[in-house]
Parts: sequence; structure tokens; C-alpha cells
Amino acid sequence: MTQVLDREQIAEWSGQQPQRPWTKKPARLQAWIAVAALLPSALVALIFTYTEIPGPILLVAVFFPLQLLAAGIAAIATKGRQGAADSVIIVLSVGATLFSFIILTSVLGSLIVRGIGALWGEDGFRSSFLFQNNVYINPSTPLEYGGLGHAVIGTVLIVLIASLIAVPIGIATAIYITEVRGRAVPYVRFFVQAMSGIPSIVAGLFILTVLIVSGAMNQSAFAGGLAYAILMLPTVARTAEEVLRLIPEELRTGALALGSTRARVVLRVVIPAAKTGVITAIILGVARVIGETAPLLLTSLKSDQTILNPLGNPIAALPTYIFDNVALPYPGAVTRAWGAALVLMILVLILFTLARILGRDRLNRFR
Amino acid sequence: MAAPPTETRRDLDSAATSHRGDRIFNRGITAAAFTALLVLAGIAIFLGIAAVEAITTQGWSFLFTTEWKVDQGDEPVAGIWGMLYGSVLLAVIGLVIAVPVSLLLSIFIVFLAPRRLARMMTNVIDLMAAIPSIILGLWAFYLLTPPAEQWQFLLNKYLGWIPIFQNESGNFNGTPFIAGFVLGFMMIPIITSVSREVLGRTPPELINAAEALGCSLWTMLRHVALPYGRGGIVGGIMLGLGRALGETIAIFFVLKLVYDINWYKIIESEGGSVATLIVATFGEVSGPYELNLLLAAGFFLFVGTLAVNVIANLIVQKTGRSER
Repeated sequence: MTQVLDREQIAEWSGQQPQRPWTKKPARLQAWIAVAALLPSALVALIFTYTEIPGPILLVAVFFPLQLLAAGIAAIATKGRQGAADSVIIVLSVGATLFSFIILTSVLGSLIVRGIGALWGEDGFRSSFLFQNNVYINPSTPLEYGGLGHAVIGTVLIVLIASLIAVPIGIATAIYITEVRGRAVPYVRFFVQAMSGIPSIVAGLFILTVLIVSGAMNQSAFAGGLAYAILMLPTVARTAEEVLRLIPEELRTGALALGSTRARVVLRVVIPAAKTGVITAIILGVARVIGETAPLLLTSLKSDQTILNPLGNPIAALPTYIFDNVALPYPGAVTRAWGAALVLMILVLILFTLARILGRDRLNRFR
Repeated sequence: MAAPPTETRRDLDSAATSHRGDRIFNRGITAAAFTALLVLAGIAIFLGIAAVEAITTQGWSFLFTTEWKVDQGDEPVAGIWGMLYGSVLLAVIGLVIAVPVSLLLSIFIVFLAPRRLARMMTNVIDLMAAIPSIILGLWAFYLLTPPAEQWQFLLNKYLGWIPIFQNESGNFNGTPFIAGFVLGFMMIPIITSVSREVLGRTPPELINAAEALGCSLWTMLRHVALPYGRGGIVGGIMLGLGRALGETIAIFFVLKLVYDINWYKIIESEGGSVATLIVATFGEVSGPYELNLLLAAGFFLFVGTLAVNVIANLIVQKTGRSER
């Protein structure tokens, strides 16, 4: 004989009201949530105004436990023990989100607040900071004179050399994995992955031993570019591989059926179809390396002059310009460092946004 | 009359071909695809030679002692144990901060945030990963260190009886805690993006079934989502660890390098890091022998990060995550 259980019976046994997630939150629950959300912050605000305990400590040591407790009590009052665990998870994860966002805002905000001083003064926008170089400039020279023009040119040169090496090889690696599909595909992917874990300082050391210690050449843009290429290659290869994978198989078989050779299928059909994606891969590769400092400290050193010759002499770049200026005990030099950091971050942001826009386009076309 | 003999069927899955131009193309592409191997082997060989020389002149004490007296006296002595251990200590501090934060972040993104907020947060976290390490170093030196000194002072004052919060010098800058904090912030986007993707791929049937059975969010996470994504999350954590071990510049300005082993005092003003040792010493390197020692240190750093990274990738791959 089957026993039919009614709702009240179950509620009585389990000690809980049956949950109906599709209904609106009842007023009692909303009231509890409001109290639990407001009370701790109000309390902490009071403590903050009437005592001298510093803000961050108050936040971590008082507000956070208090908020957890309040949320827990509210949850137990409305939903029982199960609800308490949920409320803890929710408070903790919102806390973790706020923590990361506060730090990110602090990083980006400090760049703007401290870096703007190099780009903007009483005399208005200082284009000199963007276009002049560091010749005749010492750490105590006023900020109206001198700038990072030479470092921007150096960075462009080094990144260009790195791209000329890493982009063709990276895309070829991707083509090998998705188009040629030889026997070694799993190994090639394994090596590319392993390569993406090479610390940047090790890439610098490698180029240092092979090119510079061996006496083949001096520290130069070319040496720096080679070190950058090592870091850039895996990013380009992996992103390009992902993009080529999205190209419908019908395009390939169709081209083959029309009688084109394998090489033509790749060069005339697959790559053009994946054009924006391949550009995204290149941009991501550039964004990956543009701020790397450690390899350049070993392979391109620094310079105060604008240098266009990529071979033979040390050259300045944005990250090393920052590095050198921070180390100087002059406020002017430190401001220059922040200014250069701001310029570098803006470059990274532009690359990042470009990659996003192109990436969105790519997904829309093939999904 | 018999039909003209047709070409044997072409295998569409591989590029095996009889066309001459294609064979050249294939060979060129294949050669380029092995560049990655070439570079890895090159690093292993060139830095390996330096490592062998360092071990033969210094003995195994190069790895297991802590000293760096190369430019003074006639008998150079060098050992990087303190630096190796320091790198690991910093990475562990970073992990202690980054792992809970990243897990909670990914839970928030996948299960709690409304869709638009989730998409925005994913973008912001990718942006976090794109911040150059020198900018984080700058930030850590000028903005993190001053308040962190105060936090550490209070930690030492009230919790100083716990061994890890001991501090004898009264100096709270350049501590492993600050450097580890920066590394933790660098690891957050790496770990979050992997675990977000893994958690997001929990089969919706399982989640729906758990909810239909009356599971709360926490029960569902505990019994469905987290066990499902465990492998991927562990792999993501190890990817972050690999990044932290090799990081140089972000901690260069905020860590006081001391050639002395600091076992556990995370708020004492002394620490070590192989990568930072290389940059710090390279500027004033005394000669080819010291440079060679730095290359050897780089070799061991390379081997360590490579091992961590390979294991991480194997784990991530095993859980079926697409390579990224």
C-alpha cells in the first residue's frame, strides 16, 4: 500500500518548510538579508570613526568575521543549517571578488595618479616625455626635459624582431598540428606547452650564453628580440592552433575536392579564413612579451640615446627604462618611472582590447 | 573498355601526399614545428654545461649550502640552497593567498554572478593576467610595502608567539610575506581562469539533479562540482606555481635578498629567490666564473619550473580541458 505524504507531514519531519525557489523571496527573508547586510557595515563604520584602528585591519579582522556571523545567523533563522553553509560561501566569494578588485584598482589607479605627473605639468601636456630621449638628462633634471622616446623606439624594435621570428614559427607550429597532422603532433604540443613554462629570466640567460658570452655579438635589440621570441612563440602557437581548429573541415575538403594541393589549401583557404584569429594570436603574443623586463636586463641592457641599429649596441626599452629609473634616489626619476609604467600599461590595454574585439568577431563567424 | 585507373583514395585526415610541392611544404612546416624542442634542448644543453661546471668546481654543496663569496678571496664559494628554498617559500605564501581567493572567485563567477557580471569579471581577470610584472613590482614597492609594514608589525606584536610571525630585527620591509603577497596576486588570474573553466563544464544535468534532490549550493559544490573539477583545479594551481617560481622582477624591489637561510620567519626582513638572485648579481658580476655560477642557478630554476609545468599540463589535459 502506498502512503501519500502531504506537504505538512514532510515539513514536520524535516523540520523545514519546503523550499519553493520559483516564488519571490518572502518578506521575512528579505528583512533578514537587509539586516545582515547593513548591520556589520554600520557597526564597523562606527568603530572606524571613533577609534584609531587602521582601515584595512578593521576590514579584515572585524568587518569580515562580523559579516560572516551576521549572514550565518540570518541564514539559520530563515533557512536552517543548510542555509548557513551557503551564506558563508556567498560572503566569502563576494569578499574574494572585492579583494581582487581593490588590488587591481589600486594598481591601475596608482599608475594614473603617479604617472600623470610625468606626462602632464603646469605647462600642460608634455609631449616631450613621449618623444625626447635621455641624452643630457640626469636624474635631477626637471621633468620638462627628456623622456622615453628612445625607450619606445627600442621596445618597438625589439618586439618587431621578436615577432618576425616568433610569428612565422608559431603559426607554422599551429599549421603542423591542425593541417599537416603528422605523427609527432602530440609531442609537438607537449614541447610547446613545456616551452610556455620557461621563466623569462631563463630565456634571457639562454640568449646571453649563446650569443653574448660566446662573443658572437654585443647586447643589442637583436639579442633582446631573440629572448622575447622564445617567450612569444608558445603564446602565438597555442592561440593560432585554437583558431585554426575553428575553421570548418568542409572548407578544407572542399578545396581539396576542387583539386588544390595541400599547401594551397592552407595558404589560400585556411589562413585567409582564419585571418582575424591569426592577427589575434599575434597581438596576444606581443602583449605577452611587451612588459617583460628580466630578459632585457641581460640581453639588451640600456642606453640614453635613440638607437635605430638593432645589431651591435645596447638599447633602451620601456621596461628597462622603468627599472633603471626606479632604482635612482631622486623623486624626478621615480616620477619618470611611473610615467613610463603608465605608457606601458596603456600599450598593453590597447593590445588587450584589440585582441578582445577581434576575438569576438572570430567567434561570431564560426559558431 | 575498362575505366581509367583512378588515383588511390586520398587520406583526408593526414597530409600524406605524393605532390612534390606539398612534400616540400610539409617538410618546412614540420621543421618549424620542432623549434620548440630545439629551444628546450638548447637551454638544457647550454645552461646544463654551466651547471656541470659549477657542480664539478663547487661540489654538490652548490645546491645544498647557502653562501655567495665569489669576488673576494682566492677560493670562491657558492651555494644556492637558501635561494632555492626561498623561491619555494615565496611560492607557498603566494599559494596560501591565491588558492582560496581564486577558488571563491571562480565559484562566484560560475554559480553566483548574473551572466553579464560574470562575463565582465572574466574580462577583468584576464586583464589582471596581462599586467606586466614590472608594474606590479613598482606598485608593491611604493603602495603595498608601507601599509604591509604596519600589518606585519601588528601581526608580530599580537601573534609573535607563533613561530612564523617572529621578527628580531624590528624591520618589516623586504619580507617574504610582501613578496609572496605579490606572487599571490599574480597567480590569482591563472588559477581562476583554469578553475572557472573546469567548474563551468560541470554537466548541467548533474547540477540540476543535485538541486532537484534538495541540495543547497554548498552541498552541490561539495559533492558535485568540486569533485568533478578537482583535477583541473589542481593543474591550474600548479600552473600558477610554475609562474611564481620563475618570477623575477615583481619581487625584485620588495624582497631583501640575504645569503642565509630563512626557514619560516615570513615577516623577517630576509628572503631568497633564485630568479631574483640572478638579476641582482648579474649587474655586478665579477667575472666569467661568477657568471657561470649564475647560469648554473638558472639551469636549476629551469629544471624546477619545467617539471612543475609539465606535471600541471598533464593533469589539466587529463581532465579534458582544451589547451590554453
